[in-house]
Amino acid sequence: MPTDRSFIEFHQVTKWFRDPRGGTIDVVEPLSLDIAKGEFVVFVGPSGCGKTTVMRMVGGLEAPSTGAITLPGEKITGPSRAKGMVFQSYSSFPWLTVLGNVRFGLKYRRDLSSADKDRVARHYLELVKLTPFADFYVNRISGGMRQRVAIARTLAADPLVLLMDEPFGALDALTRERLQQQLLELQKTERKTVIFVTHDVDEAVFLADRIIVFSARPARVLRDLNVRAELPAERTLEIQETPAFRKLRHEVLSLIRDEEERTEAAELAAVS
Amino acid sequence: MAPGPRVRNRLATDSEGSVAKPPDRAGRFPAAAPRQASPWHDLFRFRTQTRPDVEVWVGIVAFVVVIAAWLMMTELEVIQPQFLPSPLAVLQAWWGLFQNEYHLDIGISIGRVWLAFGLSALAAIPLGVLMSSYRAAGAFSEPLIDFIRYLPVPALVPLTLIWFGIDEGSKVALLWIGTFFQLVLLIADDARRVPKEFIETGRTLGAGDWALMKDVLLRAMLPNMVDSLRITLGWCWTYLLIAEIVASNSGIGYELWTARRYGKTPEVFAGILTIGIIGLVSDQLIRAGHRRAFRYLG
Repeated sequence: MPTDRSFIEFHQVTKWFRDPRGGTIDVVEPLSLDIAKGEFVVFVGPSGCGKTTVMRMVGGLEAPSTGAITLPGEKITGPSRAKGMVFQSYSSFPWLTVLGNVRFGLKYRRDLSSADKDRVARHYLELVKLTPFADFYVNRISGGMRQRVAIARTLAADPLVLLMDEPFGALDALTRERLQQQLLELQKTERKTVIFVTHDVDEAVFLADRIIVFSARPARVLRDLNVRAELPAERTLEIQETPAFRKLRHEVLSLIRDEEERTEAAELAAVS
Repeated sequence: MAPGPRVRNRLATDSEGSVAKPPDRAGRFPAAAPRQASPWHDLFRFRTQTRPDVEVWVGIVAFVVVIAAWLMMTELEVIQPQFLPSPLAVLQAWWGLFQNEYHLDIGISIGRVWLAFGLSALAAIPLGVLMSSYRAAGAFSEPLIDFIRYLPVPALVPLTLIWFGIDEGSKVALLWIGTFFQLVLLIADDARRVPKEFIETGRTLGAGDWALMKDVLLRAMLPNMVDSLRITLGWCWTYLLIAEIVASNSGIGYELWTARRYGKTPEVFAGILTIGIIGLVSDQLIRAGHRRAFRYLG
């Protein structure tokens, strides 16, 4: 039910692919979902469940088979600057410096002069604490820094929604932890609507205002958890030791675990 | 360092303020190797890098060995001079050729190669990019190009002579045909290897098709494209020799063939060496340019 608080709306969205061996593969079952402005929503679910596909449809990088997704009232028909995306793999451009990459996020903005673009790029570079590395080529910096470059670049483009596809998935545990905190720090000032896909349940609970747990393929919403009601808005590392955090973590984990066991049993049955 | 997950950092640590330590010229990291063997020793160790200057010296030794063996065989008259002239005779022949305006022949040959190569690149780069970008262009031209590129170039010599006569046109046409159909597929492949994420990033930052091709695709594929061009330039020389031997009255290939006709083996050797040197020099120049232009890859 679309309310005035909904920002992104999924209207009975489905997705299927054509199977090369004939027939079709359902990836997303009819999905209706409302996401509020400024909400940090995390998608979790068993691997290959279609959560990334759902997010890519918001990005306009894939089209729904039926149904529609709207971003303040307007139907999403293709990728645009309104839907910023951060990928898991390092998508920073190697031929540009750190600053050059962030500035690329502003390249197609017509509302800014060249001087303004420089100023905005430096502002976001500072936000992700990479100013000392402005003139480094991205091959010269670490993976964690490269993801910060990608985040700064996407924010500089000033999107309505920030889509993050396992952005910290390739990083080591400590770097990941630091980037999670920095992301929350950024959110305090940026207040973007974020859709974040991950398979790391701790990460999901730590970051989310709301967690959507998807079933195994075809994706269907198993549970819609309001994390904000359970955890304080201010997230610190210590929060991970609280009973409320553990309870949420356990809830999400057992949902995914059951789902994966169910699929495995079904696959076994199909083989024998 | 404390035990823990393997840090993926290649050059910089992630902690702010600690500046990246660059690797040395051989691409090794400072104090990475537990024991320092001599670079000469490293030459003989399985899959081990050594200093680049050491490798250059080894390369020079190879040339010296070949020339020494050559000298020995001719001095001891193991092989008759009309089959294998002495290096000195070759040098003399070379000198003689230059007395006889050999530099003009070299200039003409280089001109032909670069003209044909330039025209070929000019057509192949846009078409290759389009072929990888739009399936319409790819599906339409790939089968056709595949068919033509399997035709051996010498088989097309009579045709180019019929169409373009024995003037410059036929030579340039032969070289163009010989390289274009190979090059366009290489370029299309280079474009196809650009990661999907780069393109999608561009799209979500607001780039249209044309901007994507210009600002993302071309920039991302450029280093590989220059390599493709360098390889193709080498093939140009092969076809040039064919063209100049068949029908020409100038150029390195013509002089080579004329020398053979009069049994002047030293001149034949001088011609072969000339081509080898031009090839080596232009290849090294492009490689050096590549390193300079794409320093960000290092």
